[in-house]
Amino acid sequence: MKKFLTAIFSIASTTCALAQEASTSPLEFSGSVDTYYKYDFAKKSNIPTSFVSDHNSVSLGMIDLALKKKTGKASFVGEISFGPRGQTQSIPDAANGGSSFHIQNLYINYDFSDKFSMTAGYMGTFIGYEVISPVGNFNYSTSYLFTNGPFQNAGIKATYKFSDKVSLMAGLFNDWNLYSATRGVSSIGGQLMISPVEGWTAYLNVLSGADPYGYGTIEDLTTSYQITKAFKLGLNAANYDMADDAGGYAGVALYPQVAVAEAVTLGLRGEYFKYKDVGAVKGTSYTGVTLTANIKSGGLTFIPEVRLDHNGDKPFLNKTGGAAPNAGQFSLAAVYAF
Amino acid sequence: MKYRLILLLAFFSFKLSAQQKQFSSDDNGKFVYYEVVEKAAARDSLVLRANNFIDLYKKTIKKQSATDTSFIANGVMVIDKTILVASHPSGEVKYTLTFEARDKKYRFWLTDFEYIPYGRDRYSNYVPTTKIATPLEKTPGKLSAGAWKDVVEAAYNKTEKFAENFKKALATNQNEKKPKKINTISTKKW
Repeated sequence: MKKFLTAIFSIASTTCALAQEASTSPLEFSGSVDTYYKYDFAKKSNIPTSFVSDHNSVSLGMIDLALKKKTGKASFVGEISFGPRGQTQSIPDAANGGSSFHIQNLYINYDFSDKFSMTAGYMGTFIGYEVISPVGNFNYSTSYLFTNGPFQNAGIKATYKFSDKVSLMAGLFNDWNLYSATRGVSSIGGQLMISPVEGWTAYLNVLSGADPYGYGTIEDLTTSYQITKAFKLGLNAANYDMADDAGGYAGVALYPQVAVAEAVTLGLRGEYFKYKDVGAVKGTSYTGVTLTANIKSGGLTFIPEVRLDHNGDKPFLNKTGGAAPNAGQFSLAAVYAF
Repeated sequence: MKYRLILLLAFFSFKLSAQQKQFSSDDNGKFVYYEVVEKAAARDSLVLRANNFIDLYKKTIKKQSATDTSFIANGVMVIDKTILVASHPSGEVKYTLTFEARDKKYRFWLTDFEYIPYGRDRYSNYVPTTKIATPLEKTPGKLSAGAWKDVVEAAYNKTEKFAENFKKALATNQNEKKPKKINTISTKKW
């Protein structure tokens, strides 16, 4: 009886202390899970952008788990993912002939001062508007700019924060999307962040060197402006040139979003994307319009979406398997962030 | 089995009692955390200690205006979301701190609470998702009621902790702090 009472009081006092204190742990743990259903109007897997690949199936996205800890000036982040979106579709994976480490981010950061820090490891790319994690995107399907650009950059980078409005990053990186360099640390990249007014942030990015296509240089503008409490406008524009005029791409995407209710936001993505001409071979181009809703309740976001793409070169298939200039899909996704 | 049930009940009863703490409202319906402390130090000491406290936490709180016996400061506190034994930042709460000192007593209050949610960026760091803050007094819709309740509760807990630290700083004379005596052990004689 005495032991039982001692146990009760020690648990009670611990619980009281926990309840009265802010619950801050030195180790940060977070993550997300997502699942989706997609229906292609031609009953084919037509639209060739990342993720949302399965037609007429309740399918998996990924489970994503992230740890972060800061001790003094040093911190680390480790993020792993499992599932189609978190493995073969976004990182080197055994099924794709790569090493299956399930790692999305694995890096160490050191704050030399309030203004200067360095980071080394395997990191989500600094290029582009959209990201791998569904928590970081408004639309559930992705753009052509995202699909064709880098996903991760392993390397070392230095960031100097001139003020809250301006910062500069420069770094050396492996080839895109690989855990290990195949041609040495042969890419150089940089990012200028400016925030001209409150609510508006713009990133000017450049990355040049080895990549999955060979060697090339990508220039990218990513910007978003929360113009009013209800209205936000985003823009992504990028240009990629392969060495020796071997190809590349260019594109622009606009992301207007409006909050129509407290828990409901509607967004549109309008994109134009073109592969560059290679010699006499003309590059093909895509235009796409995506209408998406985000309906939030706590950590859950429900995402219904309709997407229509067009390509005059008819790369899509219609219901009977014939070439078609248009493709469309409807999808429903559920993303839970914790 | 019986003991496990009793332990569970004890746990939940304490959790419930902690959840009942909440902000008071002022005449304008704004959330406020207000305290008056009697039997304090002399007015000049109180003002000095309060200013030292603000200087110590200058990264998160900045004085906006001051007189000989008072100041108003704007601050921000990060609130967390707990998952199992770990947590992560879920947002930040801006506030206004007002402090007034008299001889042997002082008062302070925190109000103008506004919340900015955080989201995970591409590097898995939690950063503000917007620059536009929402007043904590806002009545949430049905879909976000649960999450909003957690935000207000976390903000209250953080405010309470801030108040404890502030009162502790005002009760402590930095100059009179005696250094801790270190016990020395001699191994020569035994």
